[in-house]
Amino acid sequence: MEIIVCLKQVVDPELPARDFAIDPATRRQVREGRPLVISTYDENALEVALQLKDRVGGKVTALTLGPQGVAGDAIRLALAMGADEAVAVDDPHGVGLLGVEKARVLTAAIRRIGRFDLVLCGCESADWVERVVGPLLAEALAAACVTFVSRIEQTNGGLLVRRMADEGFHQLEVRLPAVLSVTSDETNRPRLPKVKDIMTARRKPVQVWPMADLSGTPADGDAPGVEVRDVALPERTARCEFLPGDAAAQVAALTQRLRDLKLL
Amino acid sequence: MDFELNEEHRLIQATVREFAAKEILPVAAELDHNPRYPAEIIASAAALGLLGLTVPEEYGGAGLDGLANVLVQEELARASAGVQAIVTVQNSLVCDPILRFGTAEQKRRYLPRLVGGEWLGCYCLTEPAAGSDAMSLQTRAERRNGEWVLTGQKIFVTNGLEAQLCIVYARTEPVPGARGISAFLVEKSFPGISVGKVEKKLGIKCSSTVEIVLADCRVPAENLLGARGRGGPIALATLDGGRIGIAAQALGIARAALEECVAYASLREQFGQPIKEFQAIQWAVADMATRIDAARLLTYRAAWLRDRGERCTAEAAMAKLVASETAMWAAHRAVQLFGGYGYIQEYPVERFFRDAKITEIYEGTSEVQRLVISRHILGRR
Repeated sequence: MEIIVCLKQVVDPELPARDFAIDPATRRQVREGRPLVISTYDENALEVALQLKDRVGGKVTALTLGPQGVAGDAIRLALAMGADEAVAVDDPHGVGLLGVEKARVLTAAIRRIGRFDLVLCGCESADWVERVVGPLLAEALAAACVTFVSRIEQTNGGLLVRRMADEGFHQLEVRLPAVLSVTSDETNRPRLPKVKDIMTARRKPVQVWPMADLSGTPADGDAPGVEVRDVALPERTARCEFLPGDAAAQVAALTQRLRDLKLL
Repeated sequence: MDFELNEEHRLIQATVREFAAKEILPVAAELDHNPRYPAEIIASAAALGLLGLTVPEEYGGAGLDGLANVLVQEELARASAGVQAIVTVQNSLVCDPILRFGTAEQKRRYLPRLVGGEWLGCYCLTEPAAGSDAMSLQTRAERRNGEWVLTGQKIFVTNGLEAQLCIVYARTEPVPGARGISAFLVEKSFPGISVGKVEKKLGIKCSSTVEIVLADCRVPAENLLGARGRGGPIALATLDGGRIGIAAQALGIARAALEECVAYASLREQFGQPIKEFQAIQWAVADMATRIDAARLLTYRAAWLRDRGERCTAEAAMAKLVASETAMWAAHRAVQLFGGYGYIQEYPVERFFRDAKITEIYEGTSEVQRLVISRHILGRR
C-alpha cells in the first residue's frame, strides 16, 4: 500500500493564550518565535497510516508544505515515527496559503510523487479549521473521499473505514485510490518515536521541491477564490444567570440549556 | 559558539517531555507516597530507548551524545526525580563504563540486556567506611582457582534491589588508595552476592537504595572490567558522567519548582491580587530562573566537553555543585512561596524539597565537588 500523509505545521496550540497574536498586515497568525508542531489531526492521520503499513506493508510518504527553514522538525518527527520518506514543498512566502490554494499545491506534489493508493490528511487544521483540503484533494485526484475517519482496515480491493458521526459512526467500504481525512480516536493516538529512530531518521530520503516548480500552483497567477478580509480574537465574556423555580425545574431548565449548547 | 539545540536534540527533548507528562507525572506523587519500583514506567522507558542512550546501535542503543542524555534526564527528573534516578544510574554508571572499558564480549553480553530493560544495573562503590574517601574501600578480591573471590560490604547502592548486574569495586592489590582497586561485573546470580538492608529515604523513594553483601562471591576471570588495578580511574571517569547526570536531575527538580511557583503565583490571590504582582515573588522567580539557567549552561558545557573526549572532571563537578545547590535552594524557595500549602503533600513542592537534598550528597557531596574543583585549580596537595 502506497500511502501519502499530508502534514501541516502550526503554532503549538498548547501555547498560553498570551502568546497568540494576529499580524494585522497579513491577517495571519504570527508564527515567529513560536514553537511549531504538526497539526493535531495530521498526527492522527500519520498514526493511522503507520498502523496500516504495520499490518499490510507498503510505504508511507510524509508530505509537508511551508517554508523549508521550518519544515525540518516536522519531517524529522514523521520519519522518526516510521514514515519511509518525506517530501517538503518549499513555499518561500511562508504560510499564508489557505486550504483551497494549499490543496492545489498538494495535488501537484502528489501527482509528482506519482503512484499512490491512499492519501491521508487531518480532518481539520489546528489553526484555520477549514476542513477543505481532504475533499478538494479527492476531487482533484479523482479519488474516493471519506471525511472524519478514525479507523481503517484493508479488505479485498479496498478499505473498510469507520467515519465518526454525531450519532455514532458509519462503516463504509471505500475503493482505492482514496483520500481520507482523519479524526482522533483512542486507537490512533500518535506514537512517541523511539530515540534510536530519531537518530536514524536522518538516513531516510527527504526531497525538497520549490513550490514554483510545481505546475498548477498559485504561482501561476490564478485568483485563489478565497480572501481573508478580517481576523479577530474572540471577545471573552462571562455571564451569570440564575435559573428560576424549584430544584426540579432548575434541573430541567439546566439540562435543556446544556443540550442546546451541545454540551450534553 | 552556538547555544541552539539541533533538530535531533529538540525532538528527543520534546519526545521525553511528552513521555514524562503522560506516563510519569500522573503517578509521581503516588510513587513518592507509597514507594514501589515503577516497573511499567521503566519498561516504557526501555521501549523508547532511554536505558541505553549513549550505547551504539550495534548493541541496541540509540547512539546519542552526552548532551542528549542531559536533555533526557532533565525531562525525566522534571516529572519524578525517583524515576530519573533509576534511569540515570543505568545510563551513566552502568552502561557507560561497560562501553568505555568493557571487552567486546562483555559489551555483547551485557549492553543489549541493559538497553532493552531486560536487566537493570547498579554501581557498588560506597562502603560504610569509604564514602567521600571512596578510594579507601576495603572490599577484597582474591584470585583463586582461576576466578575472583570477592568479600565485603557495599552500601547506598541505587537500583541494588532490582538489579541483575552489579559493577563492584574491590581491592585486588595490597596497596592503599586508588592503585589497588579493580572493577568487576558481578551478576546477581553469581554465588555469594546478596542484598542486605533496604534503606528508607527522605526522597527519590521509588528507586531502591540497598546494601550489597559479598561473601566469598565467585566471579569468573573474564568479568574483570578494564585492566587489573585500574578500577580507581574507571570509578572516577564513570563519576564524571554520573555527575553530569545528577546535575541534569537537579536541573529537572529545580525547573519543576520554578514552574510550580509560576503557576501558583498566578492563581493564588492575597491582599486582593495574584501574589505574582508582589515584587518579593517576582524577584524570587527571577532569581530561580537565572540560577537554573546558569546551572543548565554549566551542565551543557560539561556534557559537550565529555562528548569531545576531553577531560571534564572539574567542569562536571562545577555543574553538579551548582545544579544541586540550585535545586535545593529553588525547592526551598518554592516551599516558602507556597506557604502552608508548600508544607503539605497536596502540592508537589515538598516532594521537590525532599528529592533535591540527595543531589547535594550522592555521587560526591558538594564538599567533594569543591575539593575536586580546587585540586584542579590549585593542584593536588
